[in-house]
Amino acid sequence: MAERPIDWEAIERSPEFQELVKKRRSFVLPATIFFLTYYMAFILLCAFARDTMGESVYQGLTVGYVLALTQFLMVLVLGLMYLKRSANIYDPLAEAAIADHVDHEARVSSERTTAEREARDSGSAGTGSRSATSTTGGTA
Amino acid sequence: MPVVFAAEINGLALAVFSVILALTLVITYWASRRASSADNFYAAGRGITGFQNGLAISGDYLSAASFLGIAGLIYLYGFDGFLYSIGFLVAFLTVMFLLAERMRNAGKYTIADVLSFRLRERPARVAAAIGTLNVAAFYLIAQMVGAGVLIQALVGFDFTVAVLLTGTFMLCYVVFGGMLATTWVQIIKAVLLMFGIVVMSLFVLERVGFNPIELFNRAEEAGRGEGSTFSLGPGTFLKNELDLVSLGLALVLGTAGLPHILMRFFTVPTAKAARSSVVTAMFIIGGFYILTTVIGFGARAILGQGGVEAAGKGGNLAAPNLAEELGGGAGTTGGDLFLAIIAGIAFATILAVVAGLVLSASAAVAHDLWSSIIRKGKESEKEEVIVAKLAALGIGVIAMGVAILGGEGLNVSFMVGLAFAIAASANFPALLLALTWSRFNTAGAVTGVLFGVVSALGLIIISPIVWGGAPGAPDTGAFKWYDLNNPGIISIPLGFLGCYLGTILSKERGAERSFHELYVRSETGLGAEKAASH
Repeated sequence: MAERPIDWEAIERSPEFQELVKKRRSFVLPATIFFLTYYMAFILLCAFARDTMGESVYQGLTVGYVLALTQFLMVLVLGLMYLKRSANIYDPLAEAAIADHVDHEARVSSERTTAEREARDSGSAGTGSRSATSTTGGTA
Repeated sequence: MPVVFAAEINGLALAVFSVILALTLVITYWASRRASSADNFYAAGRGITGFQNGLAISGDYLSAASFLGIAGLIYLYGFDGFLYSIGFLVAFLTVMFLLAERMRNAGKYTIADVLSFRLRERPARVAAAIGTLNVAAFYLIAQMVGAGVLIQALVGFDFTVAVLLTGTFMLCYVVFGGMLATTWVQIIKAVLLMFGIVVMSLFVLERVGFNPIELFNRAEEAGRGEGSTFSLGPGTFLKNELDLVSLGLALVLGTAGLPHILMRFFTVPTAKAARSSVVTAMFIIGGFYILTTVIGFGARAILGQGGVEAAGKGGNLAAPNLAEELGGGAGTTGGDLFLAIIAGIAFATILAVVAGLVLSASAAVAHDLWSSIIRKGKESEKEEVIVAKLAALGIGVIAMGVAILGGEGLNVSFMVGLAFAIAASANFPALLLALTWSRFNTAGAVTGVLFGVVSALGLIIISPIVWGGAPGAPDTGAFKWYDLNNPGIISIPLGFLGCYLGTILSKERGAERSFHELYVRSETGLGAEKAASH
């Protein structure tokens, strides 16, 4: 699959990429654990604490409904937080990590033909664009 | 097409339907004049903006089951109906955090593109295509049957005519307009649906002085009648505790394995646009699901227990009946008009969903099976698009046939539940692990998909719902030791287990090397498919 003139492992080792992955993971992983836990806790309460969930908080508003509304709130807050963090932190890091390769890629991709794409799609490594590599070479 | 109309045709509803159909045909004509490359056919040239895609995802996702089904369940059972809304919405966090951007960066047209990126191409594509086609088939047939039942009830067409009509228009959009037409049908539908539900909600809220608590109170009061199953707390519909947990799990993970939703991320130019489209969809879908409560509770407060019979099986007609009542009641101009508009919106809703489904299924057949397996990548892009169109035709005709043969007796929600369970058990584990686990390999993906599909299908086959074990019905000889209607809680772990076992038990190690490329590409977008230049 290494028809591209890009040293993927070198990018992977670069400090910018490592920082991108670390920073993104430090938000996404806890956030995912949190939302799955909070959601499943709600589902478990609905299954096993039915009486409590049906109790009234204020007139017709039940405990279950209040908790259900907090699920909506959670989705919107986490969605917006991720959007903001992406724009401020992850996107600049991702750009920095691949900065050396983007100009190069733009040049190569304009040369890349449909035939090469098909070659890649069929699983064989295309050789055309690899010859355009200077020093970094393929990943092989 | 044989024109066999049922006795009573609702002329006004027919007029609204015609306007919507005419509008979608104009879009299809416009889209068909654009270049017909594979990028255009499968991915609308990757030129859809984040906001447009957010609308289109909503249009793809909010099926008639969401609109009429959930409103109906809330009307009948109260709180338990609302649980579906929450699962369907929270699922978008799974999509956003784990898949949306990575899919955009790593894939081209189908789920299989992401798997075959680092795994052995042919087995990976076959496995992914099996997962995709199973999900699409069950979902598509469910939507077709739903369409037939609804159009029959709302406009007065015969069930068969209604299914043929839906199928024909669906195929028109896909075959002539590809992803571009499908996307715009979905966008228009999302706008119409939001407009409809907001207007209806305002009418309902106006009756209670715009005080939601008062709506809750009135719904509860109206739900106290004899024979009522309505409750503001859980437990009236989803009685089996473990089944509820299983459903909850299938809903929150299933969306991240739905091929027609994931395919939408290939239509935007960048991962950034994919991300913003998920957040846009979250707001639209979240707003929609909040309002399903207003509609469901409004129907309970206004139609009362007396409206249960008219709401039909599963309460599907509660929302249209409520619209008629809000407009002034049956027989009045306002009532007829409001009913016709809501019926038209429900119809547009179904069309947009089935078009997206058929497109994703045809991509799996043409791009994954035909192009890569049969022709081994040697055919031209033009040929692949033709095959995709033929595949769409074939899939559409089969779905119409099964829907008509199975008829109204097919249980719609059971098939949608099955589609979500297969998506969560077969597609989601393999996709997630291919993108994040360096050790993952071809054997793991194939085993995982097979474990997921077979266990979900097998468990559904032995489930009480298949054996006629409706809640409270006498023992029908079903398997006594197994009483789950949703297989998720067993089949999802089995899907992951299959991926794990297949991986560690096989000696294949080559997939780790290409993981570096997939990993960097999916995280940064370097080398991702570009938008077509127009």
